[in-house]
Amino acid sequence: MAPPATAVADSLASPERPRDSRANIDIMAPTHGVQWPYFLALGAAVLGVLQALAVLLYQTYVGLGVAGYQQPVFWGVYIVTFVFWIGIGHAGTLISAILFLFRAKWRNAVNRGAEALTVFAVITAALFPILHLGRIWKLYFLIPYPNQRSLWVNFKSPLLWDVFAISTYASISIMFFYVGLIPDIAIARDRATGVKKAIYTVLALGWQGTGPQWKAHSRSVLHLSGLATPLVLSVHSIVSWDFAMSIVPGWHATIFAPYFVAGAVFGGFAMVINILIPVRRIFRLERYLTDYHFENMSRFILLTSTICGYAYAAEYFIAWYSGVEYEQTSFWLRAFGPYWVSTWCMITFNVIFPQLLWIKKLRTNLPFLFVLCLFINLGMWFERYVIIITSLSREYISGSWGLYVISPVELSVLAGSFCWFSMWFLLFLKVFPVIAITEVKELEIHARDHGGAH
Amino acid sequence: MSELDRRDFLKLVGVGAGAAATACAEPVEKLVPYVEQPEAITPGIAVWYASTCTECPAACGLHVRTREGRPIKLEGNPDHPINQGKLCGRGQASLGRTYLPDRYPQPMVRGAGGSLEPSTWDDAMAQLAAKLDSARGRTWILGGTVGPSLGGVIDQFAVAAGANRIVYEPFAHEALRKGTEAVFGVASLPIFDPSQADLIIDLGSDFLSTGLSPTENARQYADARNVNTDKTGGTRMISFGPRLNFTTTSADQWIPAKAGSEAAIAFALAKAVVAAKGTPEGVDAAGIQRFLSGANMAQAATAAGLEPSELSAVAEALLHAKNPVILPPGVAYTGSQATSTVAAVMLANALLGAVGKSLVVPPATGTADAASFADLKVLVAAMKAGRVDVLLIHDSNPVYSLPPELGFTEALGKVGTVVSFASLKDETADSAGLVLPDHTPMESWGDSAPRPGIRSIVQPTVRPLLDTRALGDSLLELGRGLGGAMAEGSFHKVVENNWSDVNWRQALAQGGVFSEVVIEPVGISGDFAGLGYSASSASGKGDFALVAFPHHFLGDGRGAALPWLQEIPDPVTKLQWNSWVEMSFESAKRLDVGFGDVVEVETPSGKIEASVFPRGGIRDDTIAVPIGQGHSVGLYASMEGEGEHGGWIHGPIGAEGQPGVARGANVIALLPATEDEMGGRVWGGAQASVTKTGRFRRLALSQWTDNQRGRELAQSTSLAELAGHGSDHGGGHGAHHDEPPHTFTAAYDADPNQPYRWGMVIDNDRCNGCSACVAACYVENNIPVVGETQAIQHRDMAWIRIERYVGDGDLEGGAARRPVPNREKLGELDIRYIPMPCQQCGAAPCEAVCPTLATYHNKEGLNGMVYNRCAGTRYCANNCVYKVRRFNYFDYGNENFPGMLGLMLNPDVTVRQQGVMEKCTFCVQRIEGARQPAKDEGREIRDGEVKTACQQACPTHAITFGNLRDDASKVVEAGNHPERSYHLLQELNTRPAITYLAQVTRDENEGNH
Amino acid sequence: MPTLVSVFDFPSNTASAVRKLKDRGFDDLKTYSPAPFTELELAEDPKPSKVRRFTLIGGLSGVTLGFLMQIWMSLEWPIKIAGKNFASIPPFWIVGFELTILLGGFFTFFGLLIVGGLYPKRLDKHYDLRFSAEEFGVVVTCDERDVAEVEALLRAESAKEVTLADS
Repeated sequence: MAPPATAVADSLASPERPRDSRANIDIMAPTHGVQWPYFLALGAAVLGVLQALAVLLYQTYVGLGVAGYQQPVFWGVYIVTFVFWIGIGHAGTLISAILFLFRAKWRNAVNRGAEALTVFAVITAALFPILHLGRIWKLYFLIPYPNQRSLWVNFKSPLLWDVFAISTYASISIMFFYVGLIPDIAIARDRATGVKKAIYTVLALGWQGTGPQWKAHSRSVLHLSGLATPLVLSVHSIVSWDFAMSIVPGWHATIFAPYFVAGAVFGGFAMVINILIPVRRIFRLERYLTDYHFENMSRFILLTSTICGYAYAAEYFIAWYSGVEYEQTSFWLRAFGPYWVSTWCMITFNVIFPQLLWIKKLRTNLPFLFVLCLFINLGMWFERYVIIITSLSREYISGSWGLYVISPVELSVLAGSFCWFSMWFLLFLKVFPVIAITEVKELEIHARDHGGAH
Repeated sequence: MSELDRRDFLKLVGVGAGAAATACAEPVEKLVPYVEQPEAITPGIAVWYASTCTECPAACGLHVRTREGRPIKLEGNPDHPINQGKLCGRGQASLGRTYLPDRYPQPMVRGAGGSLEPSTWDDAMAQLAAKLDSARGRTWILGGTVGPSLGGVIDQFAVAAGANRIVYEPFAHEALRKGTEAVFGVASLPIFDPSQADLIIDLGSDFLSTGLSPTENARQYADARNVNTDKTGGTRMISFGPRLNFTTTSADQWIPAKAGSEAAIAFALAKAVVAAKGTPEGVDAAGIQRFLSGANMAQAATAAGLEPSELSAVAEALLHAKNPVILPPGVAYTGSQATSTVAAVMLANALLGAVGKSLVVPPATGTADAASFADLKVLVAAMKAGRVDVLLIHDSNPVYSLPPELGFTEALGKVGTVVSFASLKDETADSAGLVLPDHTPMESWGDSAPRPGIRSIVQPTVRPLLDTRALGDSLLELGRGLGGAMAEGSFHKVVENNWSDVNWRQALAQGGVFSEVVIEPVGISGDFAGLGYSASSASGKGDFALVAFPHHFLGDGRGAALPWLQEIPDPVTKLQWNSWVEMSFESAKRLDVGFGDVVEVETPSGKIEASVFPRGGIRDDTIAVPIGQGHSVGLYASMEGEGEHGGWIHGPIGAEGQPGVARGANVIALLPATEDEMGGRVWGGAQASVTKTGRFRRLALSQWTDNQRGRELAQSTSLAELAGHGSDHGGGHGAHHDEPPHTFTAAYDADPNQPYRWGMVIDNDRCNGCSACVAACYVENNIPVVGETQAIQHRDMAWIRIERYVGDGDLEGGAARRPVPNREKLGELDIRYIPMPCQQCGAAPCEAVCPTLATYHNKEGLNGMVYNRCAGTRYCANNCVYKVRRFNYFDYGNENFPGMLGLMLNPDVTVRQQGVMEKCTFCVQRIEGARQPAKDEGREIRDGEVKTACQQACPTHAITFGNLRDDASKVVEAGNHPERSYHLLQELNTRPAITYLAQVTRDENEGNH
Repeated sequence: MPTLVSVFDFPSNTASAVRKLKDRGFDDLKTYSPAPFTELELAEDPKPSKVRRFTLIGGLSGVTLGFLMQIWMSLEWPIKIAGKNFASIPPFWIVGFELTILLGGFFTFFGLLIVGGLYPKRLDKHYDLRFSAEEFGVVVTCDERDVAEVEALLRAESAKEVTLADS
């Protein structure tokens, strides 16, 4: 029996191009075409990376003496910046994993950017423990590689925990990032041509959004979130143990793990806001990144800022309450010693300023948010500076007290790290959608569907 | 070390063979490669030679440790009666002279261009011979004190060349000699023995630091105060002086008398003594009365700015003590009445019965004695008048050490030919027309007769590294050329012949001949003609009394060439590398200057600029500047090695140095060219005015605070508490008061199956802070010197440091970006020195945090450090509560041993690479060295067989090292003083292997509790 | 055998279409969706995904491996550190935990690739660009005689279009 005529009538072979979804068009827009400001920015970032690289070669050749180290302060800006960047990464994981588990749908619009932020922050942070080594060329000593002399590593050392924690964190974040990208890459693939298409085709891994694919995908995202959540908490705890496990007055404190995690989320959210506000503005993504999102993030900042405030207070209280003169002196000099400026910057920027967010108007006032978050990032960097430098400079043997002064070399490497981070983020903007398209669609279509469209 | 190219290698092999032979025979004349193995040299086995230290007049005996023919370490000669196996920091560092880049590689002749051009011995000697021939009667020889043999040759030469000889020593102690002569009729320097006195009145002699025999005196002083054996605490010392100097820190009472009041005090005390004891028969009592007439107690007290009661109390103490002794002022305080002062002091000593006991007056040795300042003026006059054609200068640096006011440098211009025999570049050689470089002491023959019954030999331990020639040989040749009657053979033969009365081989082997000689007691002859006290008026009108004191390490400036002596902190101020102006905080406030502010110090004689070091331990009316800096020649002595980056510190990247730029200022420029009643040189008494320049030049200060904040780091206890009764006053008195948590047994902290757990006991009561241990550690362990630029950044590499605290401390201070020590108080003494090596913890915080296991606990309880495994995370250093770990910020091991200094490295100790952590190892190489023989003989290492470098050097035996698991060992015994013993920061439960013994406060009224 | 390609606008009726087709025994079908929709996934295959097994295995092997590695390495050359046991378990939890996460993560990822059949490959003949836009596709293969019924069924669920691809 012949097939019904109707079926033949509307064949797919119709010549006119079918309409594309608005989300696709809007969100993929940044990846098309070339704007000279973009390349200006990228060029600047690359230059910044190159100068830092040159400086690092110099440092490696001559020796770490070109950095500001002096007895008894053996760690400096490099470790400070390491902790800073690790912290930044945490907001990303929090948004993409934890909020996912909590089914906080508002995250869908921001999580792609946040995940990217995580990945790039981690690969930035990971550089610092390496480039602060006295003998970079012996880096492999820190890895338990098989060797016939059976020289292994010291699993009791917090630094080794770092090695594992950070490499794990990096791998998981990258996986998470990529898995989330696959469907969007497929979208890009379907609309790209030439070389771009070829690349996207490979990256998309033949994604077609079939039932089994979506099923496996959702399930893996769920599990990865489940894994990433305790991971993100562990990573910064372990970083904090680099200090808490030591015997240095000002470091040896049990509150460090939660204190550092809260601080990390705090600083991370600030960074997310600092990045998304310009992105939304430049690429006209107001439709997807609404005030609602920023208000939610502001709430998080307010919360974590308050936790930090509590931690600061607790530190000082315990130092006093312990009755240990070493601790008391260390903290007294933290506030009123040679580094009092850093300390008070930290307290003002991290605890006092963010309290303004109790005001609803300010929570949705983007220019204000942007400036506030700049201060918070600065404050968080100072927090690590204060913890590391002041504690080391005033230890048990008062005759060996010293002073640390940042050297130009360290400053240019610090600057280089920001350029390195921006470089990756700019590249990301050009290649992948900055907002998870499928997740946006999920919301839109779902709304339309149940909005009684038929 | 600087990498070994073929040349160095051959040289090295050669010197090996050389040293092998020099041990007991003629030096071999050609390089012998090891295809013919010289007997007495086994590669890898050290060979020891006995010799004599020539750094200062004390003439301590040396044992020179050589490896493959290179001297690599100096240690005291245990058989030598003076230093008895110990050696001070200056002696330790003097080894470097042989390897310094400053050495003249060959004879130099001033060329047409006005600069010194390399020449050959034949040419140079020919030139000089010709000149000498025509300059008979118009030739002068100027040089430092030398041994009898060399002295003899010089005299022979002087005769041959018709030359006048002047023996010149900057610190010639003329007053001491003349004053002694006045009282006893014997022109010699008295030998002081603190152990024979029970009360020492020190009028600023600084005998423990820059006296006539510091190492010996330090030992005797510590022995005389051994609280373990003598519950009374032994000898007491009352020290006078406007400035808290090194010796005063070891005293029991400090009376801050005005500078320049020494004479008044000496006479007042002498008068009191004479009044009480009367004058012995056969002495011209009237003469003595006349001599003492100028003095009286009250006036002396005003002169000294003291209460008369304070002074009379001292006199009382003097008269009540059993064996009191008064020590005359040292170099810093030799004023215009120095000789009278000494005479008064000696008179008092004689009446007090000190002479013959704690002060022995040896018979005059005559010729070898230094000339007086007056003689020098004669020479300079002759030079100015152009009556000097040839001036031969050896073993001294007059251009640097004579006051410019004397005009020696200008006078040099009028001399036909100036010949220098210096082996190292110095200001004098730099302005000479001809340089005939002498061997360094490590390369030369010689001898020394410091006191009756003691003759010791200087023997070469290495074949001359450069084209130099022994002064003796040069003079012999020249003398013969002039047809003079010179001794037979080479100088080596001359020395040997002078010793023909003893068994030469045996003498060589033990470093000399040492016999107990009874020195006839001297009686008071009392010829006080021209002596006496009259209230003196200080020269100059400035509002500060200027004290120019000899630097603990640099002495009269000859130590400045040695980097170790520059970098090891001055024990009293903890300053490194540069000149400083000490003034009280009050004065600093008045002048509106602070730490590091450059001030101009001016006297009628001249002006200098240096940075201010404010301190509590100096009178408001006094400023003090160390003698010894301000050299304009030398890699380390001047700024030649210091670029903006620190020159050689950075090696390839480093900026060029600043050749010709002086390091610090030469305070001698401020001193008048005047002499005392008997023609002795005057160092003290100048008045200076100080003005602020507004510039700032940071000083390298190795310890920023002397406040231990009640942390009981350097603990102190009192005699009362030692006796068991008595109450704690002020706390911080020994671990025995409040038993700290975590009591433990260090002996357990090693593999249970091992016979050893190495440990150490440090007796802070014996430690006087002299820092000989630090120098010994630098040399033994190839520790690089980092230079001033890096020292300012707290990057010194010392494995052991002497921390210095004042009192128990309080919770003040620490907030300043760069605090300065500020707890000293005028007239108060509670100075606590605490040597700080690695504590070799049983539960070491550094070990747990190292990711690569580069630092770990070895089976014998040592805290091992595997340089090759270190990646340089520096976490260990952060976590070390004692802050004894040091980091190689740059490629020190490679860059900071320029030129031949690499040859001085100890082959048993790894030279550390850039970027690795290092620290004290308890001289593990010495432990291993002792292990092999023990193994061969199938026994365990004996107690005392292993001595760490610091322990070996310590003049006061403050450090004991050994096996804690051997109950019979000295270290266990030494640590067994529960009433004084404590562990540093024990409450942190690091289980350190070092036990400290608390310092003991002798008198209740003293100390700032 | 003929294949019908249908296009939908909404996940809800796509899902019900799928459900109905399955009820009628048309199991040889495939859906395409621009975004994840639980209802659709359940309609097509109510069983939970196999990915979870990978995660479990990965995590377990991670923790085991982690502890074994640390203990063995500490004991193979025992070195005394700060007076602690050679193999002191408490600090080993850290690395043990990290390896649990790490291997768990990797296994999950590869699980996704395997279960979801993700690897670079040619796309299905009937895959359409609209499916990565906003429209849903259901592709059914059935016997000649059932074509009419299937089409009717699809249209009943308001499919925008139904096409008979190949016979």
